[in-house]
Amino acid sequence: MRMRRGVGPVRAAVFFLVLAVAPTFGLAHWLLTMLVFTLMFAVMASAWNLLGGFTGYPSLGHVAFFGIGAYAVVLWFQHHDISSGYEPFLLLPAIGLGVALVGLPIAAIAMRTRADVFAIVTITLLFVGQTLAFNLRDITGGAQGASIVPAPFPADSYEIPFYDALVVLLAVSMGLTWATMRSKVGLSLAAVRMDEDKAAGIGVRVQTVKLLAFCVSVGLTAMIGGIWAYYEGFIYPQFAFDPLISVAMVLMTFLGGRATLWGPVLGAFILELAQQYFAYSLGGSRFYLIAYALVFLVVILVMPRGILPSVRDRLWRRGRRRIVDAQLPAGDGPL
Amino acid sequence: MTPLLEVDGVSRSFGSVPALVNASLTVERNSITALIGPNGSGKTTLFNVITGNLRADTGRVRFDGHDVTTARPAALYRRGLSRTYQQARVFSQLTVEENLVVAGGFGLAQLFGRRVNRRDRQRATELIDEFRLGRVADLPAAELSYGQRKLLEFAAVLMSSPTLILLDEPTAGVNPVLIETMEHHIRRLHAAGITFLIVEHDMNVVMRLCDPVVVLDQGREIFTGPPDAVREHPAVLDAYLGA
Ligand SMILES: Nc1ncnc2c1ncn2[C@@H]1O[C@H](COP(=O)(O)OP(=O)(O)OP(=O)(O)O)[C@@H](O)[C@H]1O
Ligand SMILES: [Mg+2]
Repeated sequence: MRMRRGVGPVRAAVFFLVLAVAPTFGLAHWLLTMLVFTLMFAVMASAWNLLGGFTGYPSLGHVAFFGIGAYAVVLWFQHHDISSGYEPFLLLPAIGLGVALVGLPIAAIAMRTRADVFAIVTITLLFVGQTLAFNLRDITGGAQGASIVPAPFPADSYEIPFYDALVVLLAVSMGLTWATMRSKVGLSLAAVRMDEDKAAGIGVRVQTVKLLAFCVSVGLTAMIGGIWAYYEGFIYPQFAFDPLISVAMVLMTFLGGRATLWGPVLGAFILELAQQYFAYSLGGSRFYLIAYALVFLVVILVMPRGILPSVRDRLWRRGRRRIVDAQLPAGDGPL
Repeated sequence: MTPLLEVDGVSRSFGSVPALVNASLTVERNSITALIGPNGSGKTTLFNVITGNLRADTGRVRFDGHDVTTARPAALYRRGLSRTYQQARVFSQLTVEENLVVAGGFGLAQLFGRRVNRRDRQRATELIDEFRLGRVADLPAAELSYGQRKLLEFAAVLMSSPTLILLDEPTAGVNPVLIETMEHHIRRLHAAGITFLIVEHDMNVVMRLCDPVVVLDQGREIFTGPPDAVREHPAVLDAYLGA
């Protein structure tokens, strides 16, 4: 739990510095593309973690908000002119805020249920979103898909603006997570996760922090949807509301470690890079999904609570054993 | 002066199982009242009704002169009625200190402040010292022994500056040294003016600590009186020894 003062900020500074300068080394196109997708999932896993990790409400419907964000960007610029290639990025905060507000009544209803029931309830959001996108043809174009004016960036550096925007969003998402952990919001969320009834009984603002976590989480997710739509240029309901995106957020967070700052990001880098690698080396068939699932299974079997909590636990125990051993007279075993 | 707590003809059933049948009890100010009874006699259910964790089917509960029959647990907690649970409920992944801080309560405005600020730490440290939890203050509660967790839950209850504390079997499953510690704290806090209602199986503890004693049997209150009378009372003997 405890780390030496200053280690956290330094680690974060180094991480973001590396991310920021990486593209200036003239990375290959395919590598940049891979990083763009990895960053998308890093932000989404980090956002999911606020709700599924810290609050303990395992949403399986987050992709619904990803889809809403995607369609919001596309539809907005079908009706408004784009004056510069950067304009869609400027729209993102408004989308995040709008979707957070949309999420409020949804959270108020869905979060009356808990655990597995909550997971099932949120799955329905995904299908509602997808069904609407397919059927509101006049607005979304239905199965024909919908398109946005192609981003006017030069082909050899097309990824860069998306990459930069995603790095900023990752900083925002991790910054919010960090602030949550350090504040009484985080303390309250932890109490909710461990024993919600007891927490409510001692006056923790259970409802407030639950709704807050939900809204921030889905707002961030929607912004990634917006970036994705602009990046792709053309979106279809089955991809904007792809259940695999929801599943990926969950798996990445579990893999890296729920309710930790770095866990979801680590999980995203491992799983997304693994998936891209297998997709590439195993070819176009969907066999790569099996390899991807195996990576997840092996890690979770070895470290059921995810990578970071398990590693931290082992280090902590080793440190503690050393202290305890030092206090024992020679010959005595551990207590 | 009105009694601090009055339970008046409370009934509560779970399906067809009657857990409380027209049960009444009074807790006088600054008493240590014991609530005893065989397993399944409704003691915990009565606690749950008093604290608002469960609704009574019929009957009324008054705390400090106010009708609180339908009050929510959090509202009662803020007004000075707090409790512990039979199976100690502490937040396992929070540290001992954080468990205390979260029990201290904070408003919306403080929600965005530091997780544990200096004032929180001061208040928590007082209790940590009093309960001799200093060595484990920074450990997650999951690392504590069961007895220590019960002690922590007891300490946490004090963060709300309660006037009435309900303890559900504070000494069950706890080693003899810790039982003495519990007793010590109950006496100390009682001397400081706090009222207790205690569910307790250990009759030695009851005899040493409590007066009066209320006996519950099959959801009914069958006896209220001083501790030395309870052992001789025929209805009580019957409840414990009879079928
Ligand atoms: N949530 C519940 N659902 C169904 N039945 C319950 C519930 N809680 C209690 N009961 C039943 O109500 C009766 C009283 O239970 P209660 O827990 O209040 O007894 P108790 O006096 O605290 O017992 P113990 O000494 O074992 O703690 C029992 O028959 C129990 O099975
Ligand atoms: Mg009980």
